[in-house]
Amino acid sequence: MLAYITRRLASTVLVMGIVAVFIFLLLHLSPGDPAAIIAGDNATTEQIDAIRRHLGLDDALPVQFYRWLGAVLQGDLGISIFSNEPVAKLIGQRIEPTLSLALTTLFVAVSLAVTFGVLAAWKVGTWIDRALMVVSVIGFSVPVFVVGYMLIYVFSINLRWLPVQGYTPIAQGLGPWIEHLILPSIALGLAYVALIARITRTAMLDVLAEDYIRTARAKGVATSSMLLKHALKNAGVPIITVIGIGIALLIGGVVITETVFNIPGVGRLVVDAISKRDYPIIQGVILIFSGVYVLVNLAVDMSYTLLDPRIRY
Amino acid sequence: MRTTRRRFVEGVLAATALSAVPRSGRAEVSRARTIRAVMQGDLRSLDPIWTTANITAYHGAMIYDTLFALDADMQTKPQMVAKFGVSDDKLTHTFELRDGLKFSDGAAVTAADVVASIRRWAARDGGGQHMMARVKDISKKDDKTFVVALKEPYGLVADLMAKTATPLLYIMRKKEAETDPNQQVTEFIGSGPFTYNRDETRMGSRYVYDRNPNYVSRSEPSSGMAGAKIVKVDRVIYENMPDSQTALQALKAAEIDFFEIPPLDLIDSLESDPDIKVEVLNKLGNSGIMRINHLYPPFNNVDARRALLYLINQEEFMKASFGNPKYYKKCPSNFACGTPMENDENTAWFKEAPNLDKAKELFKKSGYDGRPVVVLHATNIDFMNNSAQLVAQRLQAAGINAQLASSDWGGVITRRAVKAPPDQGGWNCFITWSGAASVGNPIAYVGHQANGEKGWFGWPTDDVHEKLRDKWAAAGSLDEQKKIARDMQKEDWDFVPHVWLGQFLSPVAYRKNLKGVLAIPEIIPFWNIEKA
Repeated sequence: MLAYITRRLASTVLVMGIVAVFIFLLLHLSPGDPAAIIAGDNATTEQIDAIRRHLGLDDALPVQFYRWLGAVLQGDLGISIFSNEPVAKLIGQRIEPTLSLALTTLFVAVSLAVTFGVLAAWKVGTWIDRALMVVSVIGFSVPVFVVGYMLIYVFSINLRWLPVQGYTPIAQGLGPWIEHLILPSIALGLAYVALIARITRTAMLDVLAEDYIRTARAKGVATSSMLLKHALKNAGVPIITVIGIGIALLIGGVVITETVFNIPGVGRLVVDAISKRDYPIIQGVILIFSGVYVLVNLAVDMSYTLLDPRIRY
Repeated sequence: MRTTRRRFVEGVLAATALSAVPRSGRAEVSRARTIRAVMQGDLRSLDPIWTTANITAYHGAMIYDTLFALDADMQTKPQMVAKFGVSDDKLTHTFELRDGLKFSDGAAVTAADVVASIRRWAARDGGGQHMMARVKDISKKDDKTFVVALKEPYGLVADLMAKTATPLLYIMRKKEAETDPNQQVTEFIGSGPFTYNRDETRMGSRYVYDRNPNYVSRSEPSSGMAGAKIVKVDRVIYENMPDSQTALQALKAAEIDFFEIPPLDLIDSLESDPDIKVEVLNKLGNSGIMRINHLYPPFNNVDARRALLYLINQEEFMKASFGNPKYYKKCPSNFACGTPMENDENTAWFKEAPNLDKAKELFKKSGYDGRPVVVLHATNIDFMNNSAQLVAQRLQAAGINAQLASSDWGGVITRRAVKAPPDQGGWNCFITWSGAASVGNPIAYVGHQANGEKGWFGWPTDDVHEKLRDKWAAAGSLDEQKKIARDMQKEDWDFVPHVWLGQFLSPVAYRKNLKGVLAIPEIIPFWNIEKA
């Protein structure tokens, strides 16, 4: 097991190295020049050239890559071209809203989705099953921003129950913090609920058809115990797998949700950085996102051993 | 006491309820004296000399002051300057600063700060460069007095120091003003009405400004950028809200107080809200422009450029982006309509346009050979997106092989700086806009330069126009300037440096509990505003 984890962590470094090269080339070979954006609309070509020289953007690509990679290996993600602030500091300022949104969404989505999936499998073929599956198809099909605007219109503008936008740090009170996360979490979590609910239903249906479930029923085990202790645990591996895969979906959704609800998170940071070609921020954030994704998948693989003792690494 | 599950849940609920209770009265008062504003975009850079971005000029107006300023009638008035005079030979301009001016760190503003600030600004500004070509020396006479010594008489010294076209001449501390103009300053200490609160600011998210207790206001009433700048709130926050729908809903829900560019297609819903006021602050508005590349065919030929005058129907372009005629107008003048230099010289083509047959005839006369014409197309900004597509359609209707090169605005401003031929990464035309107040000034607006490759993108070369610009700058009176502007326009619409697409207004929307919002072309001020 330890050897497996070490191997996986070593491969994580390799993956992140490949991501680093890929992102660097993608950014520097795609159209867009931060110097031109900095200089503004009234600048002349000469002024843009002067800024480019000053920022070192006219150096050869390998030189720029070497400079960036050298700093990253020493734990320095660089300085934002525009704000002149360290990238690590900017990410640090934005990490709390993103983590809050992601974890709240994960909590809400997994709780609801597993409940819906188990319920649909238990009541398979009934109106409950069909209704839950229709809801999940809709949830998966409607884009996050549409759900977001609808929620704002109903709950913020008409009912005035919740704020339209913004984020309050948890240090300023649990109430305002939750208040600002309810609508974004629902908007972001809907697709996730749909995905996990469908997988849960399918996995549960497979397990519920197993002989040992029939035996448990024959022995008079209570329905709740049969569903949650016997069936759900054995259906856990595909559910955990899809939750892990869904982290990528979540990361993509965070970017849109943070924009619609004006949450100052890492997603917004990277979108703003892309529009102005602030290379150090884009590279830093993507590097961190890719690291998180790889580590989440490692955690998912590890969790299999808890759910199914037959799995060994 | 043993912690049971029930007690734990009760505890969490109680903590939640407690934290949901409104906090101290002080926080409430603070919110009541804070203006939250969603501006045109993110404040990407904080150095208003390093970048010419308008939003950075707004930031500059908050924390720095200017030597002179334009009042509501676009007249140049002294601001930081108390007294000024010109020698009899008109070669020496002497300026004396007002008493008691201080930077927000408490240090006095001195002539040394001013001299360094002028030098840095002039290195970046087209108008400043025009002036510096005629300046022998700028020097400090004493702590409060500085002198601009000229090689030849030049009538625009104070006007350029007052102009609102970016970059504005903001006065920084000598320490920052001595920074290389191609490098950002890293400290933001000014003598303006607000201070920049770096600790509370979250770059890319919100920018916080507090009232500057050291600010020394003028006693005259506020008028445009001139006069008193009395701050009547404690704090102003620029919220960066990239989604205009969200910003609009936030304004309706009173989560923000001010929204600079509400989407025009939803303006009706704001106008019908009894708590919101929709108002045009920049009465001159903006001028949409189609900038053309003079280095390569077909637009290196004057007949092809003249063809564009007959091809473009300003009404069509304005309607496509702004819909309601209340917010746009057609304008044939090369110096924006509503400005002192507006005139109708050599505009017979405008009465005739659009005239597709005439445009075709002129393109044929130019010897157009069917080569692709690259139209840079910014897809993420409505006006540019709509207009670039219309330009391509109109060119195609005239038999021109127009091709859209689509990207975001970041891609367009990168490519427009490329001087290579259009088929090797260059371009033939792109769309943008500029504040009409600037466009009305032949020196302040960078697009009025016709000095070839040293000038703005498109690089037109027209010596006659350049001589007239110099003559305009040296003119002794407004009437003389107006006459020269007519001569310039006569030349311009024969030469065709660019094509205007119309003039449009951008209304702002704000909560009605804000009182005293000032109308200033090109800058959004937050002094003089009370929050009821």
